[in-house]
Amino acid sequence: MGASAPKDLVPVTVIAGYLGAGKTTLINELLSHDHGRRLAVLVNDFGAVNIDAALIAGHDGQTISLKNGCVCCSIADELGDALDRVLALDPAADQIVIEASGVADPANVAAYGQGWPGCRLDAVVVLADAETVQARSRDQFVGELVVRQLRRADIVMATKCDLVTEAGLAAVMDWLTETAAGAPILTRRAGQLEPELLLETAQPTARPGRQRSHAGNGPGEPAFDSAVVEVDGTLDRDRVEAALQDWPDSVLRVKGILRFNGAAGGLHIVQRVGRRWSIEPAPNGFTPDHTGKLVVIGLPGTLYHRDLTASLNRQAQ
Amino acid sequence: MADMTVFVARTVRTMEPSLPVAEAVAVRDGRIVEVGTLDTMRPWLESHSHEIDDTFKDHCIMPGFIDPHLHPSMAAILLPMHFTTAVGWDLPWEDIGPVHDDEQFLARMESLDAALAPGEPLFTFGHHPIWHGPIDRSALNQISTARPIVAWHRGYHSITVNDACLRWMDLDTAAAGRHPQVDLDAGKFFETGLSVALRHLRGYLLETERFRAGLDRMRQVIHNGGHTTIGDAALGFYGFEQEWDHLQAVMEQPDTPFRIQLMPFAMGPEGDERTDDEFVERVLSYPSRNTHRLRFSDHAKMFADGGFFAELLMLKPPGHLDGRHGEWMTPPERFEAVARALWNAQRRIHVHCSGDLGVELALSTLEKLQWERPRFDHRFTFEHFGISSAQQVDRMAAVGAVASVNAYYVYELAEAFAARAVGYERASQISRLGSLERAGVRFAVHSDFPMAPAKPLNNAWVAANRLTESGAVMGATERASLDAAIKAITTNAAYVLGLEDEIGSLRWGKRADFTVLEADPYAVSAESLRDIPIWGTVFEGHKFPISSD
Ligand SMILES: [Zn+2]
Repeated sequence: MGASAPKDLVPVTVIAGYLGAGKTTLINELLSHDHGRRLAVLVNDFGAVNIDAALIAGHDGQTISLKNGCVCCSIADELGDALDRVLALDPAADQIVIEASGVADPANVAAYGQGWPGCRLDAVVVLADAETVQARSRDQFVGELVVRQLRRADIVMATKCDLVTEAGLAAVMDWLTETAAGAPILTRRAGQLEPELLLETAQPTARPGRQRSHAGNGPGEPAFDSAVVEVDGTLDRDRVEAALQDWPDSVLRVKGILRFNGAAGGLHIVQRVGRRWSIEPAPNGFTPDHTGKLVVIGLPGTLYHRDLTASLNRQAQ
Repeated sequence: MADMTVFVARTVRTMEPSLPVAEAVAVRDGRIVEVGTLDTMRPWLESHSHEIDDTFKDHCIMPGFIDPHLHPSMAAILLPMHFTTAVGWDLPWEDIGPVHDDEQFLARMESLDAALAPGEPLFTFGHHPIWHGPIDRSALNQISTARPIVAWHRGYHSITVNDACLRWMDLDTAAAGRHPQVDLDAGKFFETGLSVALRHLRGYLLETERFRAGLDRMRQVIHNGGHTTIGDAALGFYGFEQEWDHLQAVMEQPDTPFRIQLMPFAMGPEGDERTDDEFVERVLSYPSRNTHRLRFSDHAKMFADGGFFAELLMLKPPGHLDGRHGEWMTPPERFEAVARALWNAQRRIHVHCSGDLGVELALSTLEKLQWERPRFDHRFTFEHFGISSAQQVDRMAAVGAVASVNAYYVYELAEAFAARAVGYERASQISRLGSLERAGVRFAVHSDFPMAPAKPLNNAWVAANRLTESGAVMGATERASLDAAIKAITTNAAYVLGLEDEIGSLRWGKRADFTVLEADPYAVSAESLRDIPIWGTVFEGHKFPISSD
């Protein structure tokens, strides 16, 4: 087998959604936010002149503009080329953010995160303009595509929520919940940003304990809750898989390192983003600071620490 | 040296309504002086020295054939490969018969393997599971364990390779194996997974010597089809300047018997209006680099939905048989914005559209632009025109659109599309030419080579007969008349390229471009159009016979 181990793979976050959903604004804010991650940003658009790149330039990370569109037998592959350039950066990027084209099927972009040598997929975040997404979903040209994009999301983020009435927002959230097939739905207002939800920033170093609420930098209610779930000793892999599968849709992210018992035992990196989860063996010689802890991030008021712990720990039952 | 050369022929089909048939064409400096008979030409013949060339005394002289839409750069990638296709391809260097099943496919692989130098990679193009079954890595390993073998899918979006190729690509198999669209056991790389393989193969495929050898083969293909003018329907697939350099090096030669009208891509970036004008400015600057044979004019190419062969067309309800989805190449809002900028700059817009929703986007955009700022004679062209409705054709007529149609879809794809893509009703009406003719919408037919063979007579034959490979007629009332089918490769093809004052028919002042046939296409039945042998061409007054090996 090849030499690359999970630790070496750079996580890729795909930011998708139809034109006007606020992808560029979000990426600009991610670049200027002090989240401690070195980002490489790939902006996918249709032209040689890239105004988005001009907006993004001047921040940390790397910006590369891409063309999109597949004609028969085009062997050009600008996304792959751009990933290779980014993966060659020194110092290496901690995370790659790809802005998908407004008409891209996020699954096609996500496939690069999943399978491009040197990368692994972190999350597909699909943005939806709260003001217009429902009307767009009925458009004869793009309606089907807008819905399909939402269905491909690990996390849906309703944007420009401060531009709609409370009743309007409630209606849109209902519609998104119904449409997005189980993906958690976040809301975003002007100036409000939680990189913890969009990027893989969570490290299992936090003190174990009940849920803590994290204020957003916007007004009002907490933006998300986090909890550290601690487990004792080694675990049944089946049990962890069942838990990752069964935890509610309001769980946005899970990350941690667990030791499994049995034949396929040993240290494993456990992750879940939205409803998609993975368990990968930790690389040889990997000595983490902490094992037996999972950091869980969820929608406000939805993380029940005892339930989460119980579902993992045989002895806690 | 005489002032003029007078070509005499058994028949001269001028495609000019005022003088449809003649016997002689007088040529000076690459242009036609007069068309008529030796008798009617007497005023010219008496006042200028001339020689009579009777090479074509038993032939029919036609205006030089025109294919307004093909892709030399794509061909340069594919033509160095060995074609192995369910429907045969007659290429200048090899007449490849149809390869109908897995046994025939592997037998052809074996004979190709035996003929190649040791170590030279074997690329074949045209594998299709419907006919050839799921050829996999182990099947290709049985052909050779030492030679890299790549079997390229007819639909372009996947390849299958053997072990030697995996080694040659120096692939990190652990990494590639994680890709959802790579199946290492089967040796298959598909859709986005194809990129993982191309990362290693692209350098080989785009290498200058190979690419130029491919372009040189393209030169032969174009000549053998009887063309004297072609349209390159989107320069810049792999890199605009690089392709321009290669085209100049290979095509701009004294022995190249055709010219190429080049269409630049027109795609603006999403989300910003200002850049449309910058794009228009760039398009406007291209003609300053024109050479004798390679020319930009006032065209720009846009893309609505995905490709027909790739089955990425966008459809109105009821959509695809299996519920799959096509792809927009350009976001509809951006499409409209870029089209508007080009329209207002008086560019001629050509839109790639495959499905009826793609057609709808182009059509509704054109209707909007006509309302905002009416233009006459704008030549907004629907390219490919795979699936459409008769009502869309009426609207096209109302707003002055023209069409450049891939008629060949009917021959190779209509039955397969009926069975597994869109059902019979729509499949039988693919490339509806009869409706266009009845509505008075001018149309050319094209090959989109390498999608379809670059043979204008063959395209006209499909247009006039709508016969499939199996011999069935699909959508009889959508046939073009014989006259319209021949106009579609001469006058109307020139019209689509905006070159109707220079080529497309034979009359005074036009380029002396002829396609010389062994029979008069108006004197044979429509069913035998494609069987008329081509002697060769005359390009700007110079004879270029097709060499028969
Ligand atoms: Zn084309």
